[in-house]
Amino acid sequence: MNHKKYTRQGNMTYSTLENEERIRNLKKETGKPVIGYLCCFAPPEMISAAGAIPYRITGEPGGDTSAADACVEPYGCTYVRNIFARALEGKLDFLDGLVISHSCDMVQRLYGIWTYYRPLNFSCMFNVPHQLTPWAKDFYTRELGFFQEYLENYTGQKISRERLQEEIKLYNHNRTLVRELHEMRKDPLPPIEGSEMLDLLMAGGVLPPDRYNSLLKNKVEEVKTREPKDDKKPRIMVWGSIMDHPALFEMIEETGGRIVCDDTCIGFRLWENEVPLTEDPYEGLKEHYFVNFQCPRTDRGPGPDRFNYILQRARDYKIDGVIGYCISFCDPHKLDYPDLRDYLKKDGLPMLLIDDNYSFSPAEAIKTRVQAFLETL
Amino acid sequence: MSQSEMKRAKRHLETTGKMKEMLPRFFMRMMERKFSNEPVAWCMVGVPPELLKAFDLLFEWPENFGTMCASRQVAPHFIQAAENDGFSPELCTYVTNTMGYCKLLKDTGEVPEECPLPGGMGTPAMLLGSGFICEPRWKWFQSIATRYFNVPVYSTDPLAPPWDVDPHDPRIAEHYLTLLREDLAGQIEFLEKHTGKKLDLDHLREILERSHKALAYWRDALALRKAIPSPMGSTDYFHAIIPQMYLVGDEEAVDFYREMYEEVKDRVERGVGIVEDEKYRLTWFGLPPWFNMGVFNYLESMGAVFVYESTYNVGDHFEVDLSDPLEAIVKRTWQRALKMHDYGAETMPELCNPAVFGGFTGSDFLKELVEDYNLNGAMMHLTRSCRAVSFGEVHTKNRLAKLGVPSLIFESDMADPRLWSDAQIKTRLHAFLETMEKAKQGGEIDEP
Repeated sequence: MNHKKYTRQGNMTYSTLENEERIRNLKKETGKPVIGYLCCFAPPEMISAAGAIPYRITGEPGGDTSAADACVEPYGCTYVRNIFARALEGKLDFLDGLVISHSCDMVQRLYGIWTYYRPLNFSCMFNVPHQLTPWAKDFYTRELGFFQEYLENYTGQKISRERLQEEIKLYNHNRTLVRELHEMRKDPLPPIEGSEMLDLLMAGGVLPPDRYNSLLKNKVEEVKTREPKDDKKPRIMVWGSIMDHPALFEMIEETGGRIVCDDTCIGFRLWENEVPLTEDPYEGLKEHYFVNFQCPRTDRGPGPDRFNYILQRARDYKIDGVIGYCISFCDPHKLDYPDLRDYLKKDGLPMLLIDDNYSFSPAEAIKTRVQAFLETL
Repeated sequence: MSQSEMKRAKRHLETTGKMKEMLPRFFMRMMERKFSNEPVAWCMVGVPPELLKAFDLLFEWPENFGTMCASRQVAPHFIQAAENDGFSPELCTYVTNTMGYCKLLKDTGEVPEECPLPGGMGTPAMLLGSGFICEPRWKWFQSIATRYFNVPVYSTDPLAPPWDVDPHDPRIAEHYLTLLREDLAGQIEFLEKHTGKKLDLDHLREILERSHKALAYWRDALALRKAIPSPMGSTDYFHAIIPQMYLVGDEEAVDFYREMYEEVKDRVERGVGIVEDEKYRLTWFGLPPWFNMGVFNYLESMGAVFVYESTYNVGDHFEVDLSDPLEAIVKRTWQRALKMHDYGAETMPELCNPAVFGGFTGSDFLKELVEDYNLNGAMMHLTRSCRAVSFGEVHTKNRLAKLGVPSLIFESDMADPRLWSDAQIKTRLHAFLETMEKAKQGGEIDEP
């Protein structure tokens, strides 16, 4: 089977290529600058509040990375190299600005190289500590302050407290609606498949929050009316590296599994909590985007307790097994994998790990492994 | 792999030869204390050894253990054990080497006999991680404390401003310095709690004074390598960093680096180089292949000498006021960040990076390096399992090409010999020597 079915011609309506088209149109329509961001530590609410359009940069699985090879080493996260290659090829020329947060090493390393070879009108690196000490939290809050200054200087629009709180409320409404859909996935016969859900979440990185609210609202209403199909399947949680394309989800579904939840970015990690509405909006943003954001790049101390939330989710969604997905050279996830696998095993939850170079190929090989795993559940 | 001709390295300085007696003496002293059940802290480079000495705490560096296992050709044994336990072959082989050691130690209850030192690294009583250089350097300890030894962990997180933020802006400086200061205070609180000792600042200051004296000699010795012919090569350099991990702060280290400086100075005055006919002067970027350090001698046999290394500038010397020893430690870290910024680094300046000046690719720096050291070329070791140190090599190669200096990027690893092939390496080295020769004659460099 040709893997491109998964990477290029799936049923997606919010794929990277389609989203890029949307953002170009939105830019034309509004006349606002587009600021692209990678990873979730620099709040898009602030970009919106400064009068720009935040756009979550995503990749094109299996895409050609040769342009990046002229500037960076082949040994590095294929996801980052994929995105950088697209930037070098001019495919991201609709971006007026770039915000890269110091999430993992590779994303952080990309910043200097990107801005050297492909400078933009506005660029900023949002530095993020790895520890959760009180002083690391203070550091993050100060970074929010610098971020605000840089944004205001660029767009010329002040970010008032009220405006920022408005944006937070709008984005929170997105989160509430997404969680409503997630709740339905706890059903023994969930009315929405994982791949469809991920496609929907991809829209959150491109649509302004008010438009996304309308989309989600309609979706919630429509999904509620769906007739449950009487087809019990193994209930799967997907854990791991960035997942911005439903190819793997589709493969798991086609092989007979049902994805009812995940622990990935752009999946649950991004939507599970709301930004607390605090008097000082920075407080809430810090709690949400730094303290509570579950990415293994942040140190939540030694011991298996750092995985408790995964086990809790597994129970809530009545999981039969976990499928892990690691992109090549993804150190934070690869270093967590043996600990997580053993922790889940103690609780009787089996785990399969798929290693991939962000191409979801060869599809047949992946599907064979998934199928063998599903048969054991 | 075991057939490599390049396993053994020949050093050129008499001073580094003396380490054959000095290091075993030190390790024996340490081992006696370990056997009497004194607690051992495992530490990541970036944890100030002077601070550990001030607590009179025994310490080990798992990263250095990785280099020792690699040079004794036993690292694959440990790496394999870690891979069997689920750790990816793509992970840092210093990590997997240690994980394999931990796994075997835990499973059998005994120190694996393959260890290069009797007693190995022992069992840790605490883990002191650091976000210096890369994230595996704290995640590694998180996992050790999760699956092998349930001991307390403290990791510091020394961030630094990105290249386009001005670190001389007092607000920015304070933003970062506050983090560094608080991290250090937390580290001291942790050490006081787990050693049951109170930090004696006067004692720390004395240790720092000796440490800085030793490191000033090291800095001065390295600067003498600008001389033609070069009085010292990479085999001496990479060997002579070991005392910086274990002995800085001791008089023994001051004596060692002073003697080294005097020997190198004497060689310069007498015009003694490490090879008879010095044809090419090179800089080395990246981690060395610890299992085949003879590669440096192989190049020397063809008249190619290394005069500068981008890595393991662990003990690089910075002038700081030692009257407040804690502030001195903070400022020393901050000075590194400033140095990188002042040179206009584009790659990876966001971490106060003590060991990697390969990410330090500002045009001024490279230009100065090329001119000051009369460089004819650069060799870059692209280590598959260490992206942190090899990141920026392609970029640096591009920048050097603009200065008319050819580079060779070759792929292998620092501890895992599985990617090495003598035949392939030799072919590439010979081709590169030809490129350098052509460039020396004023020829064009093909690369961008």
